[in-house]
Amino acid sequence: MIAMLMFAALIVGVVPGVAGAQPAGTLVVGLVAEPVNLDPPQVTDLNSNRVSRRIAETLVAFAEDSTKIVPGLAESWTISNDGLQYTFKLRKGIAFHDGTPLDAAAVKFSIERQFNPDHPANKLGKYPFANYFFGNVKAVEVLSPERVAFLLKEPRASFLAVLAAGAASIVSPTAVMKWGNDYALHPVGTGPFKFASWDRGQRVILEKNPSYWKHPVKVDRVIYRPIVEDQARLTEFLTGTLDVIVGVPPDFVGQLESNPKIQLLKQVGAHVWYLGINNQKKPFDDKRVRQALNYAVNKDAIVRDVLKGTGAPSKGPVLPGTWGADAALKAYPYDPARAKKLLAEAGYPNGFSTTLWVPESGSGMQSPVAMSTVMQSNLKAVGVTVTLQTMEWGAYLAKLRSKEQDLFALSWMAGSEDPDMVLYPLLHSSQWTPNGPNRALYKNPRFDELLTQARQVTDQAKRAELYREAQRLLVEDAPWVFVDHEVQIAALSKRVTGFKLHPSFDLRVETISLK
Amino acid sequence: MKRYVARRLLLLVPVLAGVSIVVFMVLHLSPGDPAEIMLGSQATQADLARLRAELGLTEPLPVQYVRWLAHVVRGDLGRSLWTKRPVLAEVLDRFKATLVLTTCGLVLSSVIGIGLGVASAMRPHSLLDRGSAVASLFGASMPVFWLGIVLMVLFSLWLGWLPASGMFAPYGGGDLRDLISHLVLPAVTLAAASITIVARLTRSTMLEVLGQDYIRTARAKGLIERAVVLRHGLKNALVPIVTVIGVQAGYLLGGAVLTETVFAWPGVGTLMVQGILARDFPLVQGAVLVVALTFVLVNLAVDLLYVWLDPRIRYE
Repeated sequence: MIAMLMFAALIVGVVPGVAGAQPAGTLVVGLVAEPVNLDPPQVTDLNSNRVSRRIAETLVAFAEDSTKIVPGLAESWTISNDGLQYTFKLRKGIAFHDGTPLDAAAVKFSIERQFNPDHPANKLGKYPFANYFFGNVKAVEVLSPERVAFLLKEPRASFLAVLAAGAASIVSPTAVMKWGNDYALHPVGTGPFKFASWDRGQRVILEKNPSYWKHPVKVDRVIYRPIVEDQARLTEFLTGTLDVIVGVPPDFVGQLESNPKIQLLKQVGAHVWYLGINNQKKPFDDKRVRQALNYAVNKDAIVRDVLKGTGAPSKGPVLPGTWGADAALKAYPYDPARAKKLLAEAGYPNGFSTTLWVPESGSGMQSPVAMSTVMQSNLKAVGVTVTLQTMEWGAYLAKLRSKEQDLFALSWMAGSEDPDMVLYPLLHSSQWTPNGPNRALYKNPRFDELLTQARQVTDQAKRAELYREAQRLLVEDAPWVFVDHEVQIAALSKRVTGFKLHPSFDLRVETISLK
Repeated sequence: MKRYVARRLLLLVPVLAGVSIVVFMVLHLSPGDPAEIMLGSQATQADLARLRAELGLTEPLPVQYVRWLAHVVRGDLGRSLWTKRPVLAEVLDRFKATLVLTTCGLVLSSVIGIGLGVASAMRPHSLLDRGSAVASLFGASMPVFWLGIVLMVLFSLWLGWLPASGMFAPYGGGDLRDLISHLVLPAVTLAAASITIVARLTRSTMLEVLGQDYIRTARAKGLIERAVVLRHGLKNALVPIVTVIGVQAGYLLGGAVLTETVFAWPGVGTLMVQGILARDFPLVQGAVLVVALTFVLVNLAVDLLYVWLDPRIRYE
């Protein structure tokens, strides 16, 4: 067979060296899967998001290296004292890639199409997160071509973070109405790159927007290639046909780190991976049992040996180092003796048996089965016998709605550092599954109150104070075993300069210049 | 003959109907629904309910099936739940790539398989025969994804002779040479197991045929060995071989799912994997229908080949 292959290679005349260098100005990015849909509010996966955010932009944006809110398509804004009206002043002279001017009507169109059933574009797409993001919006009002107001049903201090999400992207109304059902295949925005073509299963090509308002774009063309198989993606990268890859599997990190011909970037993302505990079910309704689980799990070992540095141990759901995080928050150290003692105090000196539900894979789940297996043996060591039940992702999410879970492995990509985007949906008691994503069925009236208050005040320092208290309660109550925050890894070829990973998991290739 | 072909073509209808019912049921009865997967862990009950209704998933299964079938009969396979593209266009678009890959795999497995088999049969227990037996054992027992990755590491990463994935270079390229250089690794990976099956079968059938009286007669009348083996031997051994190759065509279409995934080949296999993971019902149903139709047609072609190979066979 080897002879056959050599023969074939000779026929093709490709010996030696198949991989030619990329044409100047063309950047090739390897994605872990093909984008699904490029209409921002219809995007539900990371790969589509990474591409569609190059094309369309939001009123407010994230800063260069954090998820702090900075002006985007809106140059300034005011928030009414009651927190119910957000008024934006749009930048002048920006046009969509098809020439349509960016104005207040386009903003109203882009947002209201998602939740207003009478909107002409409402039936043209399925807007999966309409309720999650805009359930709180009463209306969007055009005050003048340059001024637009969002009227809310109740205050939500994290509303600016919502407006920075991909789903809040402003798109060309002309293009949406022109392409109708097929708009997702012909997206038009104001972003640094214009959509050029999409060969299904092979590549998505974006061309630079020469009149981009923010800064000159130095790359002429970006080609995104979906390569599902890890080894194939890595091989393409190492042979020089890809300039950027993200989502490097843990097992390859060591190999890449020692390779002098490439650059490796790491950046912790607004993500949390946790072992959920059913707070309403015996024996987990006893706080001491939940604390014991936290002492029993060796997260440092998980991060080091399973994730190989692609995760940072977590003390709680909020990303460390951001404005809402509590630097003084105490973490649960790995202390099996303490875990055993707590279990004995709770009336389980000989431990107990329980089940842990694990998805085989899933968005943001890192290495769920391997991580859960380590936790299983950690818990065994303190007398808790855990049976692992692995499930397919979709079936798993459906099953969590049954409220029958004991322990479950799950993760959350908040997309923003605002603590409201992670604490409220996952832990406020109004969000209990099946109505919301609080699948641990955690309830603490004081915690609820703090979160509600933090939504109503707009002063960030005051909010931070409220969140710090909430996080201290959370650590004490231990509704989950806090495990890790994902560290994103990107590998770049030497010709790429000016690139930074972003904590929102976005892939901002518009900052790149090529040598 | 014409009536036979017509009858076989008519039989397509119940076969495809059966396939569609099985696929429909397997997809819809397996746990996890598209709305759940689309929305992920951030779903609220309200968003889920609305999306399920929009996707038409709230109706009873038989109603959903009949509605789908009514469209299919009119040549409309519906739209993908995720990409919103028409399924038929999407599947046909991707099927071309699969056809290139499987045809190439089939040619490789037939040519090399028959060649190795004939050579082994001419000199049984020779070094070549034993070598091919060992290689067959190896080829038949290696999983496609493992072999694919090994070949990729060897020929792309270490030797740098062949591209690791895709069908064309992402920029430039696009010509026949580019296609062939991308085709080599996946086609060899796909064909490996089939080559061994065809080779072993050819060897045993040839050994049987070469022991027949008419071969001795052919040799006795002074024909050169090549004519004896090829014209009198191989042609008579071909009926079972062609049958197996026909079956292999189906196997290759199925194996393409794995091979395409390993090599990021933009065929219907990768499309189906995406569709299954996303529970994109119309997409998977459409893709399976097209693949099933191809498989049935290939088998019909094989049956018709028998007539040419063995004039004693008649279809009424």
